Amino acid sequence: MQARIELGQLNRQEALRYMGHGGAEPDDRLLALIEQCEREVLDAAQPRFVYRVCEIENESSGVAVKGTNLVLTGNSIREHLSGCERAVLMAVTVSAGIDRLIRIAQLEDMAKAVVIDSLASVAVEQACDRAEEIIRTENPGYYQTFRFGLGYGDLPVSLQGAFLNVLNAPKQIGLNVSASDMLTPTKSVTAVIGLSREPVSAKARGCQTCSMRDTCKFRQKGGRCNG
Amino acid sequence: MVRDFRELLKKDYVIFDGAMGTMLQAAGMKMGETPEMLNITHPELLVSIHEQYLNAGADVVYANTFGGNAYKLEECGHSVEELVTAGIKNAARARDNVKPEAMVALDVGPIGQLLEPTGTLSFEEAYEMYAEVVKAGSRAGADLVVFETMTDLMDVKAAVLAAKENSSLPIVCTMTFEMNKRTFTGCMVPAMALTLEGLGVDALGVNCSLGPKELEPVIEELSRWTNLPIVVKPNAGLPDPQTNEYSVGAEDFAAFMKDLRKYGIRVFGGCCGTTPEFIKALSDMLRENGNEEVRRTGHKQIPAAVCSATKVVPVTEPRIIGERINPTGKKVFQEALRRGDIDYILNQALEQVSAGADILDVNVGLPGIDEREMMITAVKALQSVVDVPLQVDSTIPEVLEAALRVYNGKPIVNSVNGEEESLKNVLPLVKKYGAAVVGLTLDKNGIPKKADDRFAIAKKILDAATELGIPKENVFIDCLTLTASAEQEGVLETLEAVRRVKTELGLKTVLGVSNISFGLPNRVLVNHIFLTMALQNGLDLPIINPNIEEMTGAVRAFKLLAGYDKNSVDFIKNYAGKQVVSKIVVPGNITEKSGSGNADADGRGEEGGASQGKDASLQSGLTADMSVLYNAVLNGLKNEGAECTARLLEQVDSMEIVNRVLIPALDKIGEEFEKGTLFLPQLIMSASVAQAAFEVIRTFMVKSNAAPVSKGKIVIATVKGDVHDIGKNIVKVLLENYGYEVIDLGKDVPYQAVVDAVRENDVKLVGLSALMTTTLVSMKETIELLHENKLDCKVMVGGAVLTPEYAKEIHADFYARDAKESVDIAKRVLS
Repeated sequence: MQARIELGQLNRQEALRYMGHGGAEPDDRLLALIEQCEREVLDAAQPRFVYRVCEIENESSGVAVKGTNLVLTGNSIREHLSGCERAVLMAVTVSAGIDRLIRIAQLEDMAKAVVIDSLASVAVEQACDRAEEIIRTENPGYYQTFRFGLGYGDLPVSLQGAFLNVLNAPKQIGLNVSASDMLTPTKSVTAVIGLSREPVSAKARGCQTCSMRDTCKFRQKGGRCNG
Repeated sequence: MVRDFRELLKKDYVIFDGAMGTMLQAAGMKMGETPEMLNITHPELLVSIHEQYLNAGADVVYANTFGGNAYKLEECGHSVEELVTAGIKNAARARDNVKPEAMVALDVGPIGQLLEPTGTLSFEEAYEMYAEVVKAGSRAGADLVVFETMTDLMDVKAAVLAAKENSSLPIVCTMTFEMNKRTFTGCMVPAMALTLEGLGVDALGVNCSLGPKELEPVIEELSRWTNLPIVVKPNAGLPDPQTNEYSVGAEDFAAFMKDLRKYGIRVFGGCCGTTPEFIKALSDMLRENGNEEVRRTGHKQIPAAVCSATKVVPVTEPRIIGERINPTGKKVFQEALRRGDIDYILNQALEQVSAGADILDVNVGLPGIDEREMMITAVKALQSVVDVPLQVDSTIPEVLEAALRVYNGKPIVNSVNGEEESLKNVLPLVKKYGAAVVGLTLDKNGIPKKADDRFAIAKKILDAATELGIPKENVFIDCLTLTASAEQEGVLETLEAVRRVKTELGLKTVLGVSNISFGLPNRVLVNHIFLTMALQNGLDLPIINPNIEEMTGAVRAFKLLAGYDKNSVDFIKNYAGKQVVSKIVVPGNITEKSGSGNADADGRGEEGGASQGKDASLQSGLTADMSVLYNAVLNGLKNEGAECTARLLEQVDSMEIVNRVLIPALDKIGEEFEKGTLFLPQLIMSASVAQAAFEVIRTFMVKSNAAPVSKGKIVIATVKGDVHDIGKNIVKVLLENYGYEVIDLGKDVPYQAVVDAVRENDVKLVGLSALMTTTLVSMKETIELLHENKLDCKVMVGGAVLTPEYAKEIHADFYARDAKESVDIAKRVLS
């Protein structure tokens, strides 16, 4: 299934967190810049998503996605999906227009580029939130886990290509992967959501399971990301 | 049996097959499997599917080779040659079994990776991969090649060139459009038509993404922009979100297609969700109703137009060609070219576009640089940030060809002239790549004095072009402006020649305008009056400096007065409530406009400024102007910073400005950033002021022939495989603003390129960035190669996933936590 998503306003507090530092108050100039950049990001963004609900099966190396040749490898995804009968594979992008916007801004004004980059990251997260809501409505009767991103925990980012193939994402939403497993357009997300008839234990998305825990810039400053 | 697809295309209608993937999935293929493997493992399945389509009425079947390229088949254990050959053979077997006159198409989809600039795959790599597939398919006996489901025009161009240069197969191209009549990469329908018709494909059209009903607006638009046979292969409607089943049945599909015949479609088929049943219904519909509409539409007049993939510029009214990307007589530009500073060129482009240029001329010819390489780099980089079409400008045919290859869309070639040699060298390139061309009315005897003689040369150029099959609407004639002060009577001759070329030959006209006033005072006045006269005589494409308000204004006013700008919409949009752009004075009495691309940021900067700003009163020992500059940096006031620097250059030495003002101010901002009282954009705003100040200093130094300020050279790069370069670019801004000369190799940089840059420039410090865990390997490899080559340089590394420990492990000399720290490292290493 493929659908367009409306973004609405972007969460500026969240964008400010990406831009820097705990505690500081942005001055008027920065606020004005954020406002201008938000308009540009919303104009350029073309949020699209695709998802697929699949039966799953535990196997020695991880979780196999039935009807496909994809195996989600690692312990963290197995734990994440434990107790779930099915899994949603989803991919979201705010499209190549945003990459272009960031490229141009970097030539004109790096400060603007940083603000746009942060707002675009917020935009793709918000698009994911909207996608999750749509998935919830379209799959009633299930409890959903949080979305578990590829590259999170020990779920390898090298699965990106196979994952996108199963979703037919290049054709459906124009989302591809580069030879070094990088999503292109860059402001994009791939994730797995577990579906269960029983309430899923409230596993917090936490720093303990995150592969970024040693390098996370939020943790270094004593905070945490929303993940 | 002779099977000639080009002959087949002369029929009133041709039927292509339906979906392959849909049939394979129904037969049990798993999602994510490599479908081309079935060519070897289950040949009988494929033969059977092809037979079903042929029996249903298909004249052409697509072999199961859609993803048969080196990238997609990398891990399947079989070569492209094996799987493509098997695919063609299966289709040929089915054909021989049931319908010998039918044809087999080598079916080719996108590589599966996005091309630069969004992705990392280069045009040249894509070309090689397509060439491999085409060669295999051609050898295996395909009757034609189809490129389908394409979304990137650049990708299609690589594919078409690969097909033309490695086979003689007829070529069909279909792209995939969304509801907004654009592909995922933003390609427009007329851009596809103009570009592919120029490249000489045999048929073009659309496939996939939508059903026949939703595709109607796309097909309608396409029908207005091409005279080639149109191919339509829609999906079976839209998929149901719950069941993934398509919404339109075979009979309805055929009924919708029946309606679409009015647009002059010649080739009918189906994509996702369609089956032999659909092709049967389609075939029945066409047999019953015929398709005489395809003849009724006749030959359409397609407007003269040039384009990029995302912008089409019809030359149905005057259009401005911006002339600023040209180093002739511009020291600062020349210096930028020698440094390989592509950003300088890109800023020139953005500035002209924002001033009103519709097309940009690109000339990077300069003795001592590799013009061909520079042209390729410039064209690619320009197209990654501006939409407007380009006019590639060089005197060297090899440079023109290199530009034409990598250009995404339909460009203009500047130029050919009436000399035999020029006609012979340039026009075949124009024909091969489907470009428009500027023909200069001069020949071996120079520029004729009389309008009659220039007209004769224009005619000669047109005849030569026509003979090669270049359509008339692609020939633009430049009747050449002579200098009024030297040859006053020549002015009216030029205008007369323009008028005659326009009315008698029916060609579009081009004219470089500013030459007219050479040697006269108040050149702008003479220029824009001459421009107005030329427009009135039929000038379509003035080549001007669009940054000069009077010139762009003359074109806009002319378009209003001559009735092109309906209801004055464009004029009002550009001038209502607009203020005059501020100008800054650079020492030496040279007036230059500040970058208009920054106009907004500047305006905003000045509003916020002084009242709420940070104060430098504690900074002792500074002159008044120095304090102003110091404050400007602290508060992010770009214009003020630049103006003040210009004043200071008349008072003190440039290094004094750098060391006593700019660097202490940046240090103070850096400290606050480290303490967490400032956000990153604020740090960068301050850095940008310093950058503007450095720009003024650099311009001053270049113009006075002094050595540019440099505290040392640093090479920086985002490593191979990584395209996240914003972090690296922030580092660049900061380093430059501390006076370091940064050699920026860009993103996705090969290991060897770093080594070469370090060696050639004798660099003592290299900065590498990587954002992904998967690209950290490239960082390690780059460092190893630097060490293997025993280069005497230090390496600093940074990037989101990097740790100090890992930096040590891969033998980097320094780990930079953020951009600020990279400056501290530079100070230590290069002091």
